[in-house]
Amino acid sequence: MTTTETSAGVVRRSTTSAMNPHILFRSLQRALLYIALSIAAFISIFPFYWMVVGSTNTSPDIAHGKASPGSYLFQNVAAFFATVDVPRMFWNSALLALVGVALTLIVSSLAGYGFEMFKSRFRDRIFGFLLLMLSIPFAALMVPLFIMMSNLKLINTFTAVLLPGIASIFIIFYFRQATKAFPGELRDAARIDGLNEWQIFVYVYLPVMRSTYAAAIIIIFMANWNSYLWPLIILITEENKTVTLIVSALSYAYVPDYGVIMISAVFATLPTVLIFFLLQRRFVEGMLGSVK
Amino acid sequence: MSGLKLRGVRKSFGSVEVIKGVDLDIASKEFVVFVGPSGCGKSTLLRMIAGLEAITGGELHIGDELMNDVDPSKRGIAMVFQTYALYPHMTVRENMGFALRFAKVPKDEIKRQVDEAARILELGPLMDRRPKELSGGQRQRVAIGRAIVRHPEVFLFDEPLSNLDAELRVHMRIEIARLHKELKTTIIYVTHDQVEAMTLADKIVVLRDGVVEQVGTPLQLYDNPDNLFVAGFIGSPKMNFLKGIMENGAVRLPDYENRIVPTGVRAADGTPVTVGIRPEHFKEGGSAALPLTVDIVEHLGGETYAYARHGNGDLLTLATGNDRAVGSGDSYEAKFDPASMLIFDAGGLRIR
Repeated sequence: MTTTETSAGVVRRSTTSAMNPHILFRSLQRALLYIALSIAAFISIFPFYWMVVGSTNTSPDIAHGKASPGSYLFQNVAAFFATVDVPRMFWNSALLALVGVALTLIVSSLAGYGFEMFKSRFRDRIFGFLLLMLSIPFAALMVPLFIMMSNLKLINTFTAVLLPGIASIFIIFYFRQATKAFPGELRDAARIDGLNEWQIFVYVYLPVMRSTYAAAIIIIFMANWNSYLWPLIILITEENKTVTLIVSALSYAYVPDYGVIMISAVFATLPTVLIFFLLQRRFVEGMLGSVK
Repeated sequence: MSGLKLRGVRKSFGSVEVIKGVDLDIASKEFVVFVGPSGCGKSTLLRMIAGLEAITGGELHIGDELMNDVDPSKRGIAMVFQTYALYPHMTVRENMGFALRFAKVPKDEIKRQVDEAARILELGPLMDRRPKELSGGQRQRVAIGRAIVRHPEVFLFDEPLSNLDAELRVHMRIEIARLHKELKTTIIYVTHDQVEAMTLADKIVVLRDGVVEQVGTPLQLYDNPDNLFVAGFIGSPKMNFLKGIMENGAVRLPDYENRIVPTGVRAADGTPVTVGIRPEHFKEGGSAALPLTVDIVEHLGGETYAYARHGNGDLLTLATGNDRAVGSGDSYEAKFDPASMLIFDAGGLRIR
């Protein structure tokens, strides 16, 4: 009798102890996941937070690691505007970014469209060669490109900053992939409706693929706005320099004013944040595929 | 309105020939259906007529004009696609008027023509919607409307109903037939569905592997197929095929206890043949009979089909004349009139 009871008790105990580790394991797994995500979120957000908070503090406060908002924002802004020609650098950056977006979109989206739409024996070989070019680091291209620009007498011009990026292999690849989802019958219908290839591109492809374009605008705009190394090499005179060059130059000062650096970083970040939020929905659609 | 003439039309993709010399005459105002199994080249042939695929060899005339190298928009054709191919960013009205806009037709004239097409297709309340706000049937009607607006000499339809559900397909089939009556234009219609072909066509073109197997009216093809392929393809349910051997002006059926069925068809004794009998040709009162055992019964309400076999032989389809009493496992004496048999030689050609 006792044995039975004991054995029954053992059985019951074993059942409950089998449930518990399972639930415990699931909870632990979930907790670890959230901890990992929280750390990742902290790592992503903290620099941004530090930048925003830093822009409201004095240089010594920032140097001492003060991470709470201060009251020095307006002084920092005033110092920033007094130190550098803000409108000029923003104009330079905006001009380069926007013209860069327009030119890259025209050239690279046309190339991506062409690669997908027009069949030729050499198509995939050429495309493979292009993709191979992606593996060449910019550092290896820098010097030949500089010599090329020098020979073309384009040093210290915006043209030289823009030229190498216009045929962006990544954007061509991105558009080719996106074009795979563009229904061929739409092009056929447009041909029967009397449109030539250019008109099909402008009046049918472009509006149908607008989400892809929106995503590409964000990618190219950010890349151009944040571009540092190539403009640093090409742009020499102060009046041609862009936001990234000037912001980074602020930290080269003998006694750098961290408050000014932080507020300049905030200003430098604003346009990309703005454009991302404006096009966010289309960006997500574009990354998922434009055509539904 | 224009007819079409195809002479030795060929199409190759690299070394693969997909259309192997098509000769065809299509009269003005005729409703012609290209039918055939997947990969037979029917859509390619249609796209060649449309100008969307280049013609590798031969001549295509629309009306009296050689059209081999003419731009699709200048061939006097309009096409309705399987996926409708409506421009997703435009409203119904814009979709329908798009071709006219590029033909530099004045705005008020575009409006008049679009409204006229909308009236014919009863699209009135949908004109300001975008394609994604429409049902499959409505999209199909817009696609047809877009074609009508261009006032083409020839309408081309590429499997236009295959994306619709069964009920809507029947409805749209009737709509298209009505449209043909109203517009009185030449229509070339591609489908793999032989019921669509039978119900819509003035003339059916049966294609296989890029070759025209037979051209004729639906009933000509049904009653008088030239070969085994056409006999098997046209008709639903399919024609039954039995092995036979010609002997003394009759056919011996080796799989059916060597039964002898008399036939008016003449062929040398000992010639192996295939005997074709349509399901509805099995009926009471026939002088020949096959002893079968019913395997499966399908009650459609208006008709009852029995699938039956003899021993371990082929499964035959029988239209029982709506005999609702027939059940699975029953013995069934499938009687038929020997005159309804079609005889094909070993190469699949009809022996008449």
